Amino acid sequence: MTAAKFVVNEVKGYHGFVKFLILLVVIAALASMVRFVFGLGATTNMNDTYPWGLWISFDVVTAVPLAAGAFTLGAIVHCFHIKKLEPLVRPAIVTGFLGYSLVCVGLLLDLGQPQRGWHVMRYWNLHSPMFEVSMCVMAYTTVLFLEFLSPVAERFGWNLSLRVLRWLEMPLVILAAAISTLHQSSLGTFFLIAVDKLHSLWYNPLLPLLFWVSAICSGMCIIIIEATSCHKWMGQPNEGVLLRTLAKILPWTLGLYIALRAYSLLALSVGPFFDRPVLTLLFVVELVIGFILPFFMFTQKSVREDDRRRVIAASLVVFGLVLNRFNVSMFGMMNPDQIYYPSIVESLVTIGIIAGHILFFVLIAKYFPIFEHHPETVDYTIPGRIRKSDNGAEPVSEQS
Amino acid sequence: MSKVNTSKNNAFLIDMTKCTGCRGCQVACKQWNQLAAEKTEFFSGEGYQNPPAMSEYTFTRIKFRDYQKNGQNEFAFYKEMCMHCNDPACASVCPVGAFKKTAEGPVIYKADRCIGCRFCMIACPFGVPKYEWSKGLPLVKKCTGCYSRVLEGMKPACATACPTAITYGRRDEMIKLAEERLAKHPNKYIHKVYGKEEAGGTSVIYLTSLPFNELGFKPVTLRPLPDYTWQALRMVPAAFLAVGGGLSALSWITHRRDRLKHEKAAEQVDNPAEEKED
Amino acid sequence: MTNHWIDIKHSDVIMCIGSNPAENHPISFKFVEEAMDNGAKLISVDPRYTRTSSKSDTYAQLRPGTDIAFIGGMIHYALSNNQIHREYVVNYTNAAFLVSEDFNFNDGLFTGYDGENFSYDKESWAYQIDKEGRPLRDDSLEHPRSVYQLMKQHYSRYTPEKVCEITGTAIQDYMEVIRTFCATSKTDKVATIMYAMGTTQHTHGTQNVRSYAMLQLLLGNIGLAGGGINALRGEANVQGSTDYAILYHILPGYLKVPTYDNKDLSSYNAKWTPKTNDKQSANWWSNTPKYMTSLLKAYWGDAATEKNDFCYDYLPKRSGNYSFIKLMERLQTGGFEGLVCMGTNPIVGGPDASSIANGLDSLKWMVAADLWETETSVFWRRPGVDPKTIDTEVFLLPAASSVEKEGSISNSGRWVQWRYKAVNPPGHAESDAFMVDQWVKNLKALYKKDGVFPGPITDLDWNYGDGHEPNIDMVARECNGQFTRDIEIKGKLYKKGQQVPSFAFLQADGSTTSGNWLYCNSYTEAGNLMQRRGLDDPSGMGFYHNWSWCWPVNRRVLYNRASVDLNGKPWNPKKPVISWNKLTRKWEGDVPDGGWVPMSEDGTKSPFIMIAEGYARLFAAGLADGPLPEHYEPMESPVANAMTSQQSNPAVSTPGKIDNSGKYPYIGTTYRVSEHWQAGAMTRNLPWLVELVPDMFVEIGEELAEWKGLKNGDMVTISSARGSIEAKALVTSRIKPLRVSGKMVEQVGLPWHFGFNGLATGGSANMLTTAVGDANTTIPEYKAFLCNIEKGGIKS
Ligand SMILES: Nc1nc2c(c(=O)[nH]1)N[C@H]1C(S)=C(S)[C@@H](COP(=O)(O)OP(=O)(O)OC[C@H]3O[C@@H](n4cnc5c(=O)[nH]c(N)nc54)[C@H](O)[C@@H]3O)O[C@H]1N2
Ligand SMILES: Nc1nc2c(c(=O)[nH]1)N[C@H]1C(S)=C(S)[C@@H](COP(=O)(O)OP(=O)(O)OC[C@H]3O[C@@H](n4cnc5c(=O)[nH]c(N)nc54)[C@H](O)[C@@H]3O)O[C@H]1N2
Ligand code: SF4
Ligand code: SF4
Ligand code: SF4
Ligand code: SF4
Ligand code: SF4
Ligand SMILES: [Mo]
Repeated sequence: MTAAKFVVNEVKGYHGFVKFLILLVVIAALASMVRFVFGLGATTNMNDTYPWGLWISFDVVTAVPLAAGAFTLGAIVHCFHIKKLEPLVRPAIVTGFLGYSLVCVGLLLDLGQPQRGWHVMRYWNLHSPMFEVSMCVMAYTTVLFLEFLSPVAERFGWNLSLRVLRWLEMPLVILAAAISTLHQSSLGTFFLIAVDKLHSLWYNPLLPLLFWVSAICSGMCIIIIEATSCHKWMGQPNEGVLLRTLAKILPWTLGLYIALRAYSLLALSVGPFFDRPVLTLLFVVELVIGFILPFFMFTQKSVREDDRRRVIAASLVVFGLVLNRFNVSMFGMMNPDQIYYPSIVESLVTIGIIAGHILFFVLIAKYFPIFEHHPETVDYTIPGRIRKSDNGAEPVSEQS
Repeated sequence: MSKVNTSKNNAFLIDMTKCTGCRGCQVACKQWNQLAAEKTEFFSGEGYQNPPAMSEYTFTRIKFRDYQKNGQNEFAFYKEMCMHCNDPACASVCPVGAFKKTAEGPVIYKADRCIGCRFCMIACPFGVPKYEWSKGLPLVKKCTGCYSRVLEGMKPACATACPTAITYGRRDEMIKLAEERLAKHPNKYIHKVYGKEEAGGTSVIYLTSLPFNELGFKPVTLRPLPDYTWQALRMVPAAFLAVGGGLSALSWITHRRDRLKHEKAAEQVDNPAEEKED
Repeated sequence: MTNHWIDIKHSDVIMCIGSNPAENHPISFKFVEEAMDNGAKLISVDPRYTRTSSKSDTYAQLRPGTDIAFIGGMIHYALSNNQIHREYVVNYTNAAFLVSEDFNFNDGLFTGYDGENFSYDKESWAYQIDKEGRPLRDDSLEHPRSVYQLMKQHYSRYTPEKVCEITGTAIQDYMEVIRTFCATSKTDKVATIMYAMGTTQHTHGTQNVRSYAMLQLLLGNIGLAGGGINALRGEANVQGSTDYAILYHILPGYLKVPTYDNKDLSSYNAKWTPKTNDKQSANWWSNTPKYMTSLLKAYWGDAATEKNDFCYDYLPKRSGNYSFIKLMERLQTGGFEGLVCMGTNPIVGGPDASSIANGLDSLKWMVAADLWETETSVFWRRPGVDPKTIDTEVFLLPAASSVEKEGSISNSGRWVQWRYKAVNPPGHAESDAFMVDQWVKNLKALYKKDGVFPGPITDLDWNYGDGHEPNIDMVARECNGQFTRDIEIKGKLYKKGQQVPSFAFLQADGSTTSGNWLYCNSYTEAGNLMQRRGLDDPSGMGFYHNWSWCWPVNRRVLYNRASVDLNGKPWNPKKPVISWNKLTRKWEGDVPDGGWVPMSEDGTKSPFIMIAEGYARLFAAGLADGPLPEHYEPMESPVANAMTSQQSNPAVSTPGKIDNSGKYPYIGTTYRVSEHWQAGAMTRNLPWLVELVPDMFVEIGEELAEWKGLKNGDMVTISSARGSIEAKALVTSRIKPLRVSGKMVEQVGLPWHFGFNGLATGGSANMLTTAVGDANTTIPEYKAFLCNIEKGGIKS
């Protein structure tokens, strides 16, 4: 059986939803080819008034905080040493790694000269938040990749690597948190330059801090959503108890965020604030539904302990974050006489990226041990699981 | 951020009271930079204004304002172009440093560096950098300040073509000239040298007899824009160290506490678990 | 221009009337701005609020074709308020002259009118003369028959109220213009008038110009720095082309074309050499025989001898009017077999253009020499015409543009500047000089074989080297003129073949040649003065005498002897053009208008040396339509003449395609925009300019637009008795309805640059204009006609 045939047969066996996701990804891949052939102007609705469109607003500015679960959880688990949350870490890392990889893909499509992406490393501009973010995203994707290597190494029984990775775990976690802090906040710094462009409801000097804190909140909420969905649709064990712990942290971070927002708006921003009704509405929806409401929900024990209500609250935060990022990077800079909306190609690509994310997560979960791993009980010196693996690799003694 | 002596570098003094809207500058710019004509239709804006906006093909443009004020006609013209900021936002945000404020004054763009992120377009407070939207691998386009001419001791093409309104020379001298004009004709001009302080000072400065907002000038901050991001960015090393160090310390403490707990537990159990390597 | 471009900076008041220099003469604005920096006031008088108006201190709107009323009111104000420069007026103009008792003006008609021929017998328009034949004068200006009093009486009807009723100007704007302008009657204040086609393109265009000149004379503003009346010439070298006789009635240097009754040179000289009995008058035109003989010598060289009247017989004699409009009328009746169009595009630029286009259909052949394919050269392809039905054979000769050839160019300020060839012409393009050279050489060869009356061609002295191109340097030398034999003049010996130093040395005996007496001094033994590029300006007055060369004899300001008082002291000592140095007994500054001593001394000459009597003419008997400008309505007008019962200029016959019935209610006027050039071939084919003004438009006031339900950019149809065109509506408050004779009159403005051929195409405004011209110059009345406007494109 040739490899191709094997793949075809394998794919044939997939669930219909997965096939649908594959279709979406393929369409997105085609759409992105169209972009290179016909140029950004013909395929997207970006123009000189809106040089950044859906791809930057969603694929970068929003996707990055949504992938913040990995570093947040890493720090919680390893640094704050709340070890019982460990089972959530690997899926979070996979999500993060996929998230960042797809950010890179999105960026490559969006860049005018993607082949020159490496220039960032060649010509440094320390004054550029974009430089900072690019370096961080590259570094962090590498870190996530290394972290993600653990299940891969496990899967293939590369014990030596596993040991190295295991040894690297703590430094990586810390590095991840530090790097993430920088670029999550620097995404906010992007818009500090948009003085006189970004509406005062969002423009304030604390944008970087706000971006960071909200990324932490949404990172945790994404984990809640992800674990809940994995339980519901992928037959994984219910991690509800663990999620309760996260839900207990959330009122604090959300509370901090809301306080910072209030402070920045009242003390650091200069009006006019409510001169444009649409923006006022967006602002209210974002803040009330996306942050204040879930804050109150998470303060309720009943919400924290109820799988369904907890995931609703988490979803609200994710919604709030997405809306916030769009408000900052798109709506808040929109000129009422000339509205931007994404083109079909842009939308297809973004849909494809989201689909790709879910698809790859599902596939990775299918082929790699990301849920089984419970490090407290694993003895790394004896690659016990490896014997069980289907490729039947010989156990290698690392002690020799 | 820039180390350029911005009072000695060159600047444009554009006196809109003297601009006749002849658009010689607009055509001279296209000619010097060999920019393609745009396909236009009728007039896109007031008066005879065309093309609709600055673009990859149009580095400078005369905006027309045709309106009535106190029953009197106003027909005003204003030249849009790169302001060649003293401390350019475009240069500060570019991840690969493709923009540079030169000692001669023009803010130039090194096309071979650009990765095409378009952050410069977001950053520029005057909406100057434009993009080659029609291309597969597009680049940014904007007024070059006619750097190649300036290096050869010539004036920019637009300033050369202009019969009346543009004076080109050392920035401090242009500001002096502008202030002299304000002093000499206090009733003619709005008492403001636009660009002296806007966006931290620019190398294109304007005088006018009509309020700047009536002419469609967007209000811009007086602070150099790079300051706004730098106040956050300069904290990057500190933030990195604080988070990295803080978390390291935290985990050292938590792990120690954990280990101690384990050891205590192990003492009670007969066969202690092998110590982990971390 | 009496003055020159740089000189505008010396003005205290600049009135742009009938011109739009910000758009059409952008460089002039450099000097307008400079004047304004020094406190000058700018006045713009125009039916439309233009880019020039936008720079002005005072804008006055007037109805197209009403300049005489507008200026008449200013003259009335100056005279009735004694706001004139009296000393100047008395001593330098004919204000004090007494006019014949027979002269009269009654209800729009001067004495001597012949209604059948639309002309005047000018006999009564004369001065009273003394026994020696010199005009009688009254320096007190009180005599009822003095020019001054006649003028005062004539313009007493032009009260501000009456004027504004005619012109539609808001009275407060009008009064502001008057006060600002007339304030320059002070000796040390000076105003200039910048005028162009808004002035001249009327059936009374010449009288419009006259009215400006009279106003300037009354205020003592002519001859001074920053003064004068300045015709902003149009085409880059149109000054040169008129100097070199592009018009049918003049020879180079404005010598008259002989008429059929000038049988020989002496009768020609007798007819056209002005005479005076006033010894104080220089009467420069008394040199006419010298200039004419030198011209004939330049034409026919050695063949021109005293014995054969210097080949005077070879000159064509005219028996009628061969102006553009007349030629086009003849074309339409099939009067021509062939047509040579060198650098002109009449079916876009000519009045009633579709009639001209139809006329072309009857041609057997056409030769067009142009940089581009023009509408005229592809007239057989015009919309609505089947090319198969047209038999004309058309030759398009690609021409070299101005930068692709060498030669002189005369600007509006009479500066003749040498241009060098910058690049070779593309493809097979050749200079016009080459084409003409080839024609002449071939004609000569053909006529040598046989032909009726071959002399004028075969004897033509045509030797400009053996190169591919005629040698332009040799042409320039010939234009200046040379000595044909060794001769002593004013005690100095000149050798045969030497360049003549200046026109003062030209002779009537055949000892000199000169292709154009006005240019005699441009190429002397010192070399080609047109090539000079000296940047020195010792007087600081911007004369730049060592920059190129200026006719006449490098004089930068004409009539500059009127800029000083009787003792030779400048009226405005701060801005002297010339001044008399009592010690050296010489004039300093510009080249004076003749070096004679000041007026207070013996042996002087009056300053207006080109006028037979030596005094500037406030009362001018030479024109076809009256000695004093009088307001008449344009040929097509929505109102009745409020001044007299003469509706339009009585010296202009009423042509056929005119409709005053009310069917066409709106005033139409045509104009230029900065972005396009003339009939458009040179700009509508250039993408960078097409981008700026891509299509034909019509400027419509907001009220009319609302009434017609028009928005900016809507397509409209504009029609007149001559035809209809489409255009996009440009709705703007810059063009406003006028209150005229108690009713509101709407006007619309159309650029005339568009046509059916080229990169940018659009309706030609000249499909609407009237083919009727000025009484003196026959320049068409492009600036005022009647039209109608309808929403939507032409319905076919
Ligand atoms: N860009 C550009 N420049 C040009 C040309 C060109 O085609 N394009 N053409 C050149 C040539 S050949 C010429 S002759 C000159 C002509 O130069 P201008 O005479 O300045 O040109 P126009 O725009 O035809 O007319 C001038 C103004 O006269 C106004 N006008 C119309 N009727 C009247 C009236 O009755 N009285 C008064 N006072 N004003 C009136 C019109 O509204 C117009 O604004 O321009 C030269 N310069
Ligand atoms: N309605 C209306 N009509 C008008 C006017 C108006 O105000 N209103 N203005 C009138 C006036 S003032 C003028 S001057 C006329 C102008 O009318 P035209 O003279 O007919 O118009 P242009 O477009 O100037 O024509 C000049 C042609 O010469 C060509 N050319 C340029 N350089 C050279 C050269 O070196 N050699 C040769 N052989 N050809 C060359 C150009 O390509 C162009 O086609 O139009 C008149 N028509
Ligand atoms: S105007 Fe914009 S593009 Fe020009 S230098 Fe300033 S920031 Fe840069
Ligand atoms: S688009 Fe190019 S020039 Fe602009 S910021 Fe990005 S890399 Fe720099
Ligand atoms: S400086 Fe040069 S590039 Fe910039 S607008 Fe002027 S001509 Fe164009
Ligand atoms: S060239 Fe000068 S006068 Fe003409 S539009 Fe440009 S700035 Fe204004
Ligand atoms: S059109 Fe030519 S001649 Fe006229 S102002 Fe412009 S450059 Fe000078
Ligand atoms: Mo003209």
